[in-house]
Amino acid sequence: MPNYLVEVIIENKKLAKDPEGETIYRELINKSGYDEILSVRSGKYLRLNVNAQSKNDAEKIVYKMCNDLRIYNPVVHSCKIVAKGNIE
Amino acid sequence: MKINLTSNELNQVKILLGREPNIVELGMIDVMWSEHCSYKSSKLELKKIPTKGRRVIVGPGFDSGIVDLGDGDVVAFKIESHNHPSAIDPYNGAATGIGGIIRDILCTNCRPIALLDSLRFGKLEKGHNRWLFQNVIRGIADYGNCCGIPTVAGEIEFDPSFERNCLVNVACSGIGKKENIVLGKMENPGDILVLLGGSTGRDGIHGVTFASKTIDERSEEDRPSVQVGDPFMKKIVIEATLEALSTRYVRGLKDLGGGGLTCALSEMSDKGGVGAEINIDKIHIREADMAPFELMISESQERMLFVIKPEGLNKILKIFDKWEIKYSIIGKVTNTKKVVVKKDKQIIASLPPKILTEVPPIRRKSRKPNYLKKFPKKFELKQKPKNLSQAIYELLMMPTIASKQYIYQQYDHEVGIRTVIRPGEADAAVLRILGKNKAIAMKTDCNSFHTYLDPYYGHAGAVAESIRNIVVTGAEPIAIADCCNFGNPENPEVFWQFKRSIDGLSYMLNGLDIPCIGGNVSFYNEDERTSTAVKPTIVIAALGLIDDLNHITTLGLKESNQAIIIIGKTYNEIGGSQFSIRFNGIGGKVANAKHDREKASMNAVLSSIRKGYITASHDCSKGGLAIALAKMAINGGFGAIVDIKKIPKTSMNPYELLFSESHGRFIVSSRIEDVGKILKICKDNNASVSLIGKTNDEGTIKFSIGKETIANCEIKKMRKCWKNGIQKYIN
Repeated sequence: MPNYLVEVIIENKKLAKDPEGETIYRELINKSGYDEILSVRSGKYLRLNVNAQSKNDAEKIVYKMCNDLRIYNPVVHSCKIVAKGNIE
Repeated sequence: MKINLTSNELNQVKILLGREPNIVELGMIDVMWSEHCSYKSSKLELKKIPTKGRRVIVGPGFDSGIVDLGDGDVVAFKIESHNHPSAIDPYNGAATGIGGIIRDILCTNCRPIALLDSLRFGKLEKGHNRWLFQNVIRGIADYGNCCGIPTVAGEIEFDPSFERNCLVNVACSGIGKKENIVLGKMENPGDILVLLGGSTGRDGIHGVTFASKTIDERSEEDRPSVQVGDPFMKKIVIEATLEALSTRYVRGLKDLGGGGLTCALSEMSDKGGVGAEINIDKIHIREADMAPFELMISESQERMLFVIKPEGLNKILKIFDKWEIKYSIIGKVTNTKKVVVKKDKQIIASLPPKILTEVPPIRRKSRKPNYLKKFPKKFELKQKPKNLSQAIYELLMMPTIASKQYIYQQYDHEVGIRTVIRPGEADAAVLRILGKNKAIAMKTDCNSFHTYLDPYYGHAGAVAESIRNIVVTGAEPIAIADCCNFGNPENPEVFWQFKRSIDGLSYMLNGLDIPCIGGNVSFYNEDERTSTAVKPTIVIAALGLIDDLNHITTLGLKESNQAIIIIGKTYNEIGGSQFSIRFNGIGGKVANAKHDREKASMNAVLSSIRKGYITASHDCSKGGLAIALAKMAINGGFGAIVDIKKIPKTSMNPYELLFSESHGRFIVSSRIEDVGKILKICKDNNASVSLIGKTNDEGTIKFSIGKETIANCEIKKMRKCWKNGIQKYIN
């Protein structure tokens, strides 16, 4: 079975606050003159190496794992899962 | 817009207002008429609770109660729940609960100095419960630690009724000066209204209506109600607020919690008998396109509403600028006796504050619950563990009894250099008043196993236990605050529990002459799918004053060859005890707390402590005498031999003598030469007392009946059991 690189990006939901991102923006970016940057959103990034039949399967496995093990809390977080190509 | 008012309530609104409310007004009324903001089910019952006392400066009805410590010092004290948010997002739910209670203390112009947390979860065997447990604690720790307020004490229970609805209650105390107290009031027309802190967003819209429902599938759609805490912003808000208040240009201040801006404007103007007018275009917002009603009811975190004397406005704004906090000048105090909201110079809402703050109470039906009928009044221990030593080890391992080190080691309990007694060292936390020879003692308590079987005596007992816990540290009890947690009040059986609980609590407060200075009611802690309500739980947070730091007493045994004395009588009251739950299940007659007994024992212990006769003291509660003494031995490292025949008692059954959870009891140690003096003080106070044993350095706790040993436990093994009770479930 091939191996797939699967990326997991967890962020606070769009409507929820993101104090970390807000602080980075307010205290660093905004005060250092990067006026082109309009906002920041912080999050958590996981890179997994997954043994699966297909890209789709790899995503499914990771999705199930993230839910079962509470890698994120569906109440507060959005979780984006993307499988990249075969890494062999 | 989703409206939660019943059609009956909607009609009442129309009658009171004399017209149809518009959409903005309806949104404002809807939120203020929710159970969470209006206390419509509970307020008639809550009136029974005594609230007056010689030290009370501010009682219920304001952001926090305030008591007088003498010499111009005051303490602000409050307890609140954050159950519903914590049940769906334990980390942020618990964190923002801390955030809310800190602001309640802060806006009276007192510096928050200590946090206490009272937690209840399902059993740790289940993964979901462990997830809630670990994340609630992490949320409390991260928030409290980051904003520099120590978490100094608390309590925790585990029971299946808290599985879907964990209870997260947090208490906070703050210290200030009597002459500087600020209240949540608007009084002078012309004063300027400034909204300080976080920007207003859609988060937390309908948070209060969410808390006024049970958690079921509906919660899924309600989920944007979740808030994310920002403790670093909170630290800045604390410092900026205290600096602004020090200018004396702030005439009133209130934090924005449940009901958001609507609640703050209506309560503050109502209290001062004035009106308020704001322009919602001025509010600094996080999301564009927010509807006016959304701005009025949003519960975004970290916001405060300042009422500022016009001549001081510039000076105050400079302070906010210095701290780089966002603010907006949103309006002014008026003499119209109306809350007026404008947008683009048009009036979009105009309501008399009373329609928002004086919501008609609802008389709920009450009926004695069926479940109580299945418990026989005559309760017999069916399974009696043969080996009493083994029973003691097993009780020490029960998570409700076991060491809470896993929890408090995550908390910074010393930041602020006031902490004299840290978690685990005594029955209550003790914090000194800097620069004075004074300290305050605080503790939260409730035994929900008792309250489930008997809400009346269970809650009389919760008051008694929390007060005993501060008394054993050497404190004179001065006030309590209460936090009520119940199921759905529309269910007559739940409402019966609530009523009986308030009656029991009031009975004990009246008897001990202690006022309640504030509280919180959380209903709808109920799982609709299984119709399981939480066990009725009013957490009592007790506050005491220690007027000489030399009186502070801890629980660990100090030396060998000292006397062990029990104060208070042991009754045949093993129902609902931890022993009964562990070996027999729940049922039977729970300990009946009687105020005369409590008063006698408390006075005797406090006088003995203040005379310097007591070397260690511990209140006797969960697990009874055996567990109380075991904890004193584990903590101090000294053993003891105790003859249970000598205990003042009504029963001769060794199980009851060792494990009954009768109230009004203390175990103390003293030097041999002081025993006579303690016995005399007890006699003078009409308290039952007996010298029951001696400490030693044999490394064991031995219980005997006369010469016959009935249990002999090694301290080393007891410590291991006690330390592992919770820890073993964590990976």
